[in-house]
Amino acid sequence: MESLKKIDHSAMTVNQVIIIALNITAFVLNQPWLAGLVAALMLLGTLLGQPGFGFIYQLALKPAGLVKPHILLDNPEPHRFAQGLGGVFMLGGAIALFGGLTVLGWGLVWMVAALAALNAFGGFCVGCFVYYWLTRFGVPGFSKNPPTGTFPGMRPEGGER
Amino acid sequence: MSAEVLERLLIAVAISGLAVAAYLLFNRYTLQRASTKVSKFASYQSGLPAIVYFTTPTCAPCKTVQRPAIERMKANYGKWFQVIEVDASQQPEIAQDWGVMTVPTTFVVDASGQPRYVNQGIAPAEKLIQQLEIEDYSI
Repeated sequence: MESLKKIDHSAMTVNQVIIIALNITAFVLNQPWLAGLVAALMLLGTLLGQPGFGFIYQLALKPAGLVKPHILLDNPEPHRFAQGLGGVFMLGGAIALFGGLTVLGWGLVWMVAALAALNAFGGFCVGCFVYYWLTRFGVPGFSKNPPTGTFPGMRPEGGER
Repeated sequence: MSAEVLERLLIAVAISGLAVAAYLLFNRYTLQRASTKVSKFASYQSGLPAIVYFTTPTCAPCKTVQRPAIERMKANYGKWFQVIEVDASQQPEIAQDWGVMTVPTTFVVDASGQPRYVNQGIAPAEKLIQQLEIEDYSI
């Protein structure tokens, strides 16, 4: 029995695009603190069960009509896990940068940006894919399966706009 | 703009370019993977362009958006192309063979049997008509 919930994927896409933009900006301007800020907001968002930069969508983009909601029936848990995993990588990247390990640090920052891009533009959430595999392996705390007819990690299509 | 920022900007552009190239290569790989498979469908008529449409009975957007779009196309341009529908839940091995990861997915196959485009997710009728290279886009 599936227990899917209505999830606004526009909020997540905006979140991913902002993460990509800030990570690239942090790299170009060589500002490790910006990577640390992204990590902090991603981890805070995970704790609150919201996209880390979702407030920009909720408070500005959606009310202004610049981005329309895209409601899909989906599991929220894999997305939360994916954001948490990304936040941990970002935190690791920021710590490495402050510790002088620039190649490792920027490598992690770029990896998170690449995975966010894959999700935002390709509709494939690698963190969700990992979550569903952990469910398949019976790891405690991981219980959700992908929506019927959807490849693990791929965005379920359709919904309300 | 300082030399360091410029250098980092160029690196960022190069990495982004590589990512785009990887995405295009993946799409190309998916099409190549499907290249010899269309003729295996019993209903396939060689010499006629085709849309290979992957769906499932539980796929809501297939029913509400993708199927009506294909039906409209068939009503207007049906003699210029064929539609091969595959129920991915009934024939998962075919879906896997074609590299289908979500439904709806549509492959546009040209008259020589070569898959030219893959659309993962909903493909509007106008897009499919363009991909089929049917001249009149008014639908």
